[in-house]
Amino acid sequence: MTERPLPLAMDIVERSDTNMVLSMGPQHPSTHGVLQVIVEIDGETVVKADPEIGYLHTGIEKSAENLFWTQASTVVERMDYLSPLSNAMAYILGVEKLLGVADQIPQRAQQLRVMLCELSRIASHCVWLGTGGIDLGAISGFFYCFDLRERILDLNEFSGGARMHPNYLRIGGLRDDIPAGFLEKVDELIAMYYPRMRELRALLQKNPILQDRMIDVGILGADDAIAWGVTGPALRAAGVAYDVRKAFPYSGYEQLDFEIPTRTEGDAYARFLVRLDEMDQSMRIIEQLRANLAGGPVMVADTKYAPPPKETIAVSMEALIHHFKYVSESFRVPPGDVYSPVEGPRGETGYYLVSNGDNRPWRVRTRPASLYNLQVLKKIAVGEFIADMVVMIGSLDPVFGEVDR
Amino acid sequence: MPSSQTPPAGSTAVDPTAVRPPIDDARIVRTTPDALRAELLALKNDGFAMLLDVGGVDYLERTPRFDVVYHLLRGMTAPQPERVRVLCGVDGPEPVLPTVSDLWPSANWAEREVYDLFGIRFSGHPDLRRIQLPDDWVGYPLRKDYPLRGPALERTPRPSFALKSNVAAGTPVFGKTAAALQRQIVAARAAEAPKDGEK
Repeated sequence: MTERPLPLAMDIVERSDTNMVLSMGPQHPSTHGVLQVIVEIDGETVVKADPEIGYLHTGIEKSAENLFWTQASTVVERMDYLSPLSNAMAYILGVEKLLGVADQIPQRAQQLRVMLCELSRIASHCVWLGTGGIDLGAISGFFYCFDLRERILDLNEFSGGARMHPNYLRIGGLRDDIPAGFLEKVDELIAMYYPRMRELRALLQKNPILQDRMIDVGILGADDAIAWGVTGPALRAAGVAYDVRKAFPYSGYEQLDFEIPTRTEGDAYARFLVRLDEMDQSMRIIEQLRANLAGGPVMVADTKYAPPPKETIAVSMEALIHHFKYVSESFRVPPGDVYSPVEGPRGETGYYLVSNGDNRPWRVRTRPASLYNLQVLKKIAVGEFIADMVVMIGSLDPVFGEVDR
Repeated sequence: MPSSQTPPAGSTAVDPTAVRPPIDDARIVRTTPDALRAELLALKNDGFAMLLDVGGVDYLERTPRFDVVYHLLRGMTAPQPERVRVLCGVDGPEPVLPTVSDLWPSANWAEREVYDLFGIRFSGHPDLRRIQLPDDWVGYPLRKDYPLRGPALERTPRPSFALKSNVAAGTPVFGKTAAALQRQIVAARAAEAPKDGEK
């Protein structure tokens, strides 16, 4: 097949005599990763913005197709590296639907999954809040945010063994039960969270300089947000109360009491406030789960899909065989396709999974929330000042592991 | 207890989407490239205001070979929101579909990505360039006949990763092709030859 020569992005921008074309990034501290935005400016006003992505493309979808179903959850966690658990959650829920074991997941496992996902939502928003503040010159907030995030990553390490990519969520449940003392550490976190958020709100939300930079910047209306496929806090800041946790409840979210914060202004400050309120709602969910955590197993009983308990391997021939097969060949998944969405920190994270009956996925397609949220920059940047680009990129909160995959 | 490796019915199906009734809450619509735009336009007029995602799947042995999958959503704030999944089969050495980026702006980058990774063109797209890979990249990586590590590295021995993609691409799992080995032997003999002559 012959490839026609393709124009470079710089050539696509139509230049005129008065306008200037500027390449922002990919090595720019405020683009939150490797994003290049080719902006055409008239004076200081943006006339056209064309984000160029792909600098972090690692072929995760292709890698996942060549791994076992059980192994692929490790690589999908690497996409959205600020909240790896929500990606693993969407993938695992999809595989469980394909296997037909979705209704057999023990309640304790579901509750712990939701608790860990909400913790990672708070951790992800902490990074956004800290780095978003730095973009606007507020350095101090960064340290308080990252302190809070470190405590959540410590919990990840305590339960799953790794700070960022624990691979603790498994098909069929969790790898292990939480260690003794975990819930006490969650209590400590709950106790320190609210005073810390009060400090952060005093430091950042009420800061007049930040308000001046964010209010009425990057306005995104509800109709535009829907047409551009924007989900998550950016959509809710435009007044559309769509949240997968309420619209298509999964893993017991229907039994939890929480609200969906919305604003109607649709500017960067509204997105800022929605995310802050979301952190409080996540903490509400964690408190409820902490109070009502069920007992019992954390893995499905069927040893086809779960490794048998370690203590049975030494005494049972069958358990040993199952364990060997589980590790060396994984399991076969009945043919079919499924779309499995969850509400990640950035919006609807969905997995379209296709199985052809083999022990490896035929196709793992991610619906990356960040990709669609970032695309709308083309729309909202027009007519704004070039200096406000960093505010708009920060308020959309893209993660380039997920945009580029 | 049955073995964990008992293959289920319909194992390794060529067209997995056809052998099983839908198991998630989305309505599934199948269509053809000719009817695609009319179908999606009707759905948009029916209230499906958000195009969540456009993705591709390569089924390799099936006719039509590719599926392009559109995920639509309506009634975001209604008590019972609704999803629909449109699967459009597309075939041929240079598969082409009509674009929907004028109906939903969100399709712009999504279609570019499907073009970039599967080589499916979208006629009428305003800016059909590669999006993830460099502009001068050759080949479409998510096609099943594209080796996992890329054509440049496919002969590097790495047994544990030389899996089904390489098999489909015709590369032996242990790395070097027989022809490459032969060339190496010939080169080694040629390098030795003048040394013998000097003696």
